[in-house]
Amino acid sequence: MSKKLSLEEMKKVAQLAKLHFEERELLQFLQDVNGIIAHFEKLDRLNLEEVSPTSHISWSQPPTHGDEVLEWQEKESIFQYAPQVIARYFIVPKVVEKEEK
Amino acid sequence: MKDFYVTIGLEVHCQLLTQAKMFCRCSTDYIGKEPNTLICPVCTGLPGALPVLNRRVLELAIRTALALRCEILPQVVFHRKNYFYPDLPKGYQISQYDFPIGVRGIVEFVSGGSKKRVRIKRVHVEEDAGKLIHEGPSLPWNSSGVDFNRCGIPLVEIVTEPDLRSPEEARDYLIMLRSIVRYIGASDGNMEEGSLRCDANVSVSRDVETLGTKVEVKNMNSFRSVFRALQYEIDRQKALLEKELPILQETRHWDETRDITVAARGKEEAEDYRYFPDPDLLPFSIEPKDLEEIAKTIPELPLERKERFMVEYELPEGEAGVLVQEKEVADFFEECLKEFHKPRMLCNWMLTEVLKNLNELEINITESKISPSNLAELLKLVDKREISGTIAKGILEEMFKTGGRVKEIIARKGISFITNERELEKIVRETIEKNPQSVADYLSGKEKALHFLIGQVMKVTRGQADPELAKNLLLKELNSGE
Ligand SMILES: [Zn+2]
Repeated sequence: MSKKLSLEEMKKVAQLAKLHFEERELLQFLQDVNGIIAHFEKLDRLNLEEVSPTSHISWSQPPTHGDEVLEWQEKESIFQYAPQVIARYFIVPKVVEKEEK
Repeated sequence: MKDFYVTIGLEVHCQLLTQAKMFCRCSTDYIGKEPNTLICPVCTGLPGALPVLNRRVLELAIRTALALRCEILPQVVFHRKNYFYPDLPKGYQISQYDFPIGVRGIVEFVSGGSKKRVRIKRVHVEEDAGKLIHEGPSLPWNSSGVDFNRCGIPLVEIVTEPDLRSPEEARDYLIMLRSIVRYIGASDGNMEEGSLRCDANVSVSRDVETLGTKVEVKNMNSFRSVFRALQYEIDRQKALLEKELPILQETRHWDETRDITVAARGKEEAEDYRYFPDPDLLPFSIEPKDLEEIAKTIPELPLERKERFMVEYELPEGEAGVLVQEKEVADFFEECLKEFHKPRMLCNWMLTEVLKNLNELEINITESKISPSNLAELLKLVDKREISGTIAKGILEEMFKTGGRVKEIIARKGISFITNERELEKIVRETIEKNPQSVADYLSGKEKALHFLIGQVMKVTRGQADPELAKNLLLKELNSGE
């Protein structure tokens, strides 16, 4: 199978990621991404029947934490990254399109 | 052809009962807290902060999946679900995609008097989003406020296959699901407080072979609103079909105040979440021995328990069903039975007097001041006819208020039960003398007059007479006087 991303698809991905690019930038990305896809096609030619899908290269069991609360002591400092804080709320432009999920 | 075929599938989110959030150690106890007091760099999505999984989340989610008779997948993989919304600080939600916790489960429940089963498509975990407020005295014009206290709280999502056929079935499934997650201690399942949330997919078709257009209904905040929203939506779709108008594939919101569903505002783009495995979180292997350990923590579930109560204690299905709905109530019942061996009588008292008192005090049975032994002690007295049912109800009410043991309340209130026949005979005779009209009425065939006379005896004795005995004595006296 040979798959290539079109410029339209590239534009859509950029739009979903809320990133704005000039047409020439998009064309450059398109070339890069299609290069990556071509590389996958090379991998597809390998015999991988015995290999299960890998989403990560590490095989160790990941670290976890127990269910104990540990309060973050510097939470007030987080407010400094917000453009506006009122009554402890982070203030954002009004959103109405989507109901709270 | 007038027939309509209704198909409903439900997606339920339950908040898991953990102390700490899913990927950080902030508290999950957010209700009533000041905004943004339970936050840290992880749950506010600050750059560089890394998630570390709370083990308890997996344990509770696996317990849920096992209780819903799912197959558990050997590997847990977390995916990023990408979308932009201010309540989601990272720009993605950590969720699951092709490796959920469990798949292909079954839930059995009773609806409309018969046993139904719904297939569970998948059970997966994900983090909750924050909360937005759109109005408030201090909010500037055209802005919203974000509170991240809820952000990162673990949820388990339970998705059914489209196996439900009516709003009644959907409601009854939901009641059973809530009962199960509460039994296993995975969630408190409180819909009003938002720890159980339900979305529905509804379609109506005129042909049994093909599904109708799928409409998603959201924003239902109680069992009652799920029922009414589905009813409304089905009627709406039927009306469109009858007029041969098209049904749009869309998301609609239930408007509780207007009793209708309304199409969600804004352009309905096909959702494109661009899921991919979260590189910050490694896949987690589920070992068979861990599964065995978790399986051991699952208690007898409501439906099996109900069936056992029907066989073992000879309880009618309806009563047994109510008794087992809350694990704590069923536990209390069985604990009490160890000391008072009359299941039918105990069941009646539990379902009427005990539940009535709990409702009035707005508490659950574990918060009440009475123990199973206390209730057993009281019922033994009623059973031996040492006190009347009426007196016992009063004592029970007192027990719920002040705690205390039955005998102490009886002594404190100076309640003595008149079982002495001779003493009661005297009162019966006096009552008859004082109420010649009622006696005459009774003798001319008015049954009601007898109840009046019993009432008078109870009044004179301040409710301390055994009404059965009073009735017998009255009858004896009235009939001999003829
Ligand atoms: Zn946190």
